[in-house]
Amino acid sequence: MSAFYERFDRHDGGEGVKGRSTHYCPGCGHGLAHKYLAEAVESLGVQNRTVAISPVGCAVFLYYYIDAGNVQAAHGRASAVALGQKLARPDSIVVSYQGDGDLASIGLAEILQAAQLGIPITVIFVNNAIYGMTGGQMAPTTLMGQRTATSPEGRGRLMGEPLRMAELIAQLDGPVYVERVALYDNKQRVKARRAITKGIRLQVENRGFAFVEVLSECPLHLGLTPADAERWIKEKMLPVFPLGVKKDVSASRDVWPAWKAPNMDPAAVHAVVGGATDRVPRFCTRFPRELWGPVDDDIALKLAGAGGDGAQTAAMIVARAAINEGFDATHIPSYGPESRGGTSYADVRIAEDEVLSPAAPRPNILLAFNAPSLAKFEPLVADGGIAIYDSTVVPDPPRPADAIHRVPVAATAIAQELGRVTVKNTVALGALAAATRLFPAETFLTAIRQALGDKPALLELNERAFRLGAASVCGR
Amino acid sequence: MVANALQPIVRMAATADRTKPIVVPDYCKGCGRCIDACEHHCIEPGRDIDPATGLVPVRIHLEHCTACGLCFDACPEPYGLRPAFFDAEGSERPRVARHDLAGTPTPEPIPDAVAALPPGQPLVIKGVYASAVGAILAGCRHFFGYPITPSTEGAELMARLLPHLDGQFVQAVSEVAAINMMYGAGAAGVRATTFTSSPGFSLMLEGLSYMVGATVPGVVVNVMRGGPGLGNIAPGQSDIKLACRGLGHGDTHAIVLAPSTPQEMLDLTMLAFDLSFKYRNPVIVLADGYVAQMTGRVTLPRTMVRPGVPAWAVAGDEAHRRNLITSIYLSETELEARNERLFAKYARITDAEPRADLFQCDDAELLIVACNTPARMAKGAVRTLRAQGVKAGLFRPLTLWPFPICALAPVLSRARRVVVVEASDGQLEDEMRLAISRADLATPSITSVNRYGGVLPSHDEIVSRVIGVARPHALGATA
Ligand code: SF4
Ligand code: SF4
Ligand code: SF4
Repeated sequence: MSAFYERFDRHDGGEGVKGRSTHYCPGCGHGLAHKYLAEAVESLGVQNRTVAISPVGCAVFLYYYIDAGNVQAAHGRASAVALGQKLARPDSIVVSYQGDGDLASIGLAEILQAAQLGIPITVIFVNNAIYGMTGGQMAPTTLMGQRTATSPEGRGRLMGEPLRMAELIAQLDGPVYVERVALYDNKQRVKARRAITKGIRLQVENRGFAFVEVLSECPLHLGLTPADAERWIKEKMLPVFPLGVKKDVSASRDVWPAWKAPNMDPAAVHAVVGGATDRVPRFCTRFPRELWGPVDDDIALKLAGAGGDGAQTAAMIVARAAINEGFDATHIPSYGPESRGGTSYADVRIAEDEVLSPAAPRPNILLAFNAPSLAKFEPLVADGGIAIYDSTVVPDPPRPADAIHRVPVAATAIAQELGRVTVKNTVALGALAAATRLFPAETFLTAIRQALGDKPALLELNERAFRLGAASVCGR
Repeated sequence: MVANALQPIVRMAATADRTKPIVVPDYCKGCGRCIDACEHHCIEPGRDIDPATGLVPVRIHLEHCTACGLCFDACPEPYGLRPAFFDAEGSERPRVARHDLAGTPTPEPIPDAVAALPPGQPLVIKGVYASAVGAILAGCRHFFGYPITPSTEGAELMARLLPHLDGQFVQAVSEVAAINMMYGAGAAGVRATTFTSSPGFSLMLEGLSYMVGATVPGVVVNVMRGGPGLGNIAPGQSDIKLACRGLGHGDTHAIVLAPSTPQEMLDLTMLAFDLSFKYRNPVIVLADGYVAQMTGRVTLPRTMVRPGVPAWAVAGDEAHRRNLITSIYLSETELEARNERLFAKYARITDAEPRADLFQCDDAELLIVACNTPARMAKGAVRTLRAQGVKAGLFRPLTLWPFPICALAPVLSRARRVVVVEASDGQLEDEMRLAISRADLATPSITSVNRYGGVLPSHDEIVSRVIGVARPHALGATA
């Protein structure tokens, strides 16, 4: 009883002998590993749920044989593909079948991540100490001194020592079960069959990641008869790759929680993406076109300070305020390493219908939280524009060159009086609102309330900060 | 030989629980592994070459056979050594219902459904967030990604939101792993996405080639930044060539969508999923760092998608058991035929899916061609130029592949001058030139406004260049 196809239709059309025999060389260990896999899948009653991931290597055609869902993966990526498959369909029983080149060389990163994540998948790792498919080149598991096509004088020091994957995987926290088995005699084959069955059973029980390394014969590239290849494994490989259970916490480890079906409920989705149904009140009667200086179709603002001054949040509130009023607005931050520690600045553009260029190379309004920001951006302010700056931090700036209005606001001092220096950006916004009359105060306050939606405790403080900021520049 | 040996076996098999083996010579490779396995020396090397295989199958004598079964477990061939309840031809007498590929019915597809969303206020969110929201509204609950600026916030939002919708977020060990997790999830027929940025996109190309080859859908959002190499994290458009012409090895193509606003980040990401599953092909949302990082007004659509299960999916259940996802076609004729099917698909896409946005092109004598954020600067430039009496228009491809040549052709017949505005060394221009040439149109006079290294062309640069093109004499006078 096994989960082999009754006829291998994919093996050259399944015609003739190929419909019933594998593509492997006589005596190749892959056939045995396939057989134990096929029998385990059948005996555990999970054939309909099984998805086998075929690797690149001699086992690339695993999908010719295993009567289950089949996915063929790129070289080394089978365990990443297996993870994607398992997470997509958690009820499936996913088996990643990989050789030594695939898993222990090009796919090292993928297998280590899959193992450490510990999500229940089963990995069958066939270690035959050689690259079979490409014609007998050195594998990461090739023995020292072993001659291969790419170690013609024998594997030497410069080529590194063979990699013991079972031991490597076993010392990770993720896996529940790691065993190395062999195929060279009846006793070993019984153990191999049991190990593969157990590896899959642990997945069926949702217990965790299982890894079975199979020392396997490649008679072709060893240049040995199948019987001699069996002996070679026993005598040469075993000392380097000792057999046995390397880790088994399957009895003590909690099973994974049941996997839930993804939630596709529209109300839940709408809430999760932040959809709001309440109408936001409007306070503007028209676009603030001729409030100060000449503006074209849109208004440009630059808000700048040190990281932590809150320039980005203030910019976001201005953009939100504009959008609440039915205008278009954009906010683009300076981002990345340049925004760490150093100057953080934001460009905001507001247009009646559509913002075009989102950058503000010539801002109509500058809000500067420190001296470098004021020095850097004030010269860029458009004619007739306004530069608002924190006069606590920049008490005595040098005279501006151009015809711009300067509005000092003691943002930091006012915030300190309020007992929380972080509200200085709200104080500055109040000053900006009063000095520019961009939008009514209520427009800004509504946007601030929206921004603080999840922190209502801070609402009153911010409203006071805003009003104090506005009052401090009124009547100038 | 088999038939002669068969009679006594069947009798013995009938009397015992365990069965004795027969060798099916055509399926035995003569490896001899069963010989050592038999402790009763029932099996010996053969002498006759099997005409069907050219190999020498073993011979078996069952006088001392105890039906221990060890030889079965030693035989690497599924049908080489079989229990005797097989007939002489090696056909199994079915014990359980077995599925032959040819005999299994094709599963029925479960179609996608559309569900109404409550009406609401516009969101004020940045472009990458809008793209993440679009993915969720498109029914994507699986995200596999690796952090890279300036796309990372999209991944961060997915990490925050997906658990609330019982979705899965995996931070992969690399972009290589991420795209292969996408391959696995896409093969299972679910809507998966990843967000990346230029260097990460380079790493995903191998996986994208496999997805195209194995017809696996999935949406990759690539937020382009300055290159080559590490370059910088400022906005760029230098992956147009990769996305349109270089999706890994082989003759690959994928629809490439180019958003200009946060709103389009949402809309085009949603569209990307539909197109990806419609054509069973990955789709690339090609943004730039500016539109991704930009916060703006984003109105939610009135509906969202509840994905079904495609018939071809390897969904881990009985209905889909026969399915195979692979890009292997060993014989040249098969691969050629398969590639012809791929190319026929590309042709259908080229017919049906080009999209463009035209602004004041009807009477334009000079056409600006731009996409992503530079198209916004270009649109502003068109307004300025019109105010100065230059009949300019903006042609903005929304699909970079397929290039919307059908929409461009009629306006090109009037506007014989074209100015391409882009933050790359002519990659958009090359797409346009190729499309013009393939459509056998006369090549117009093409000028370009390029910036690189993370700088986008500005409104003023575009205006002055266009004026130089439109009024060369005026420029000559001042130069
Ligand atoms: S080359 Fe080696 S591993 Fe590959 S099929 Fe032949 S014997 Fe097996
Ligand atoms: S069943 Fe046992 S005794 Fe009989 S041939 Fe096989 S190995 Fe030998
Ligand atoms: S183990 Fe199988 S393939 Fe090998 S000789 Fe025996 S019956 Fe034939």
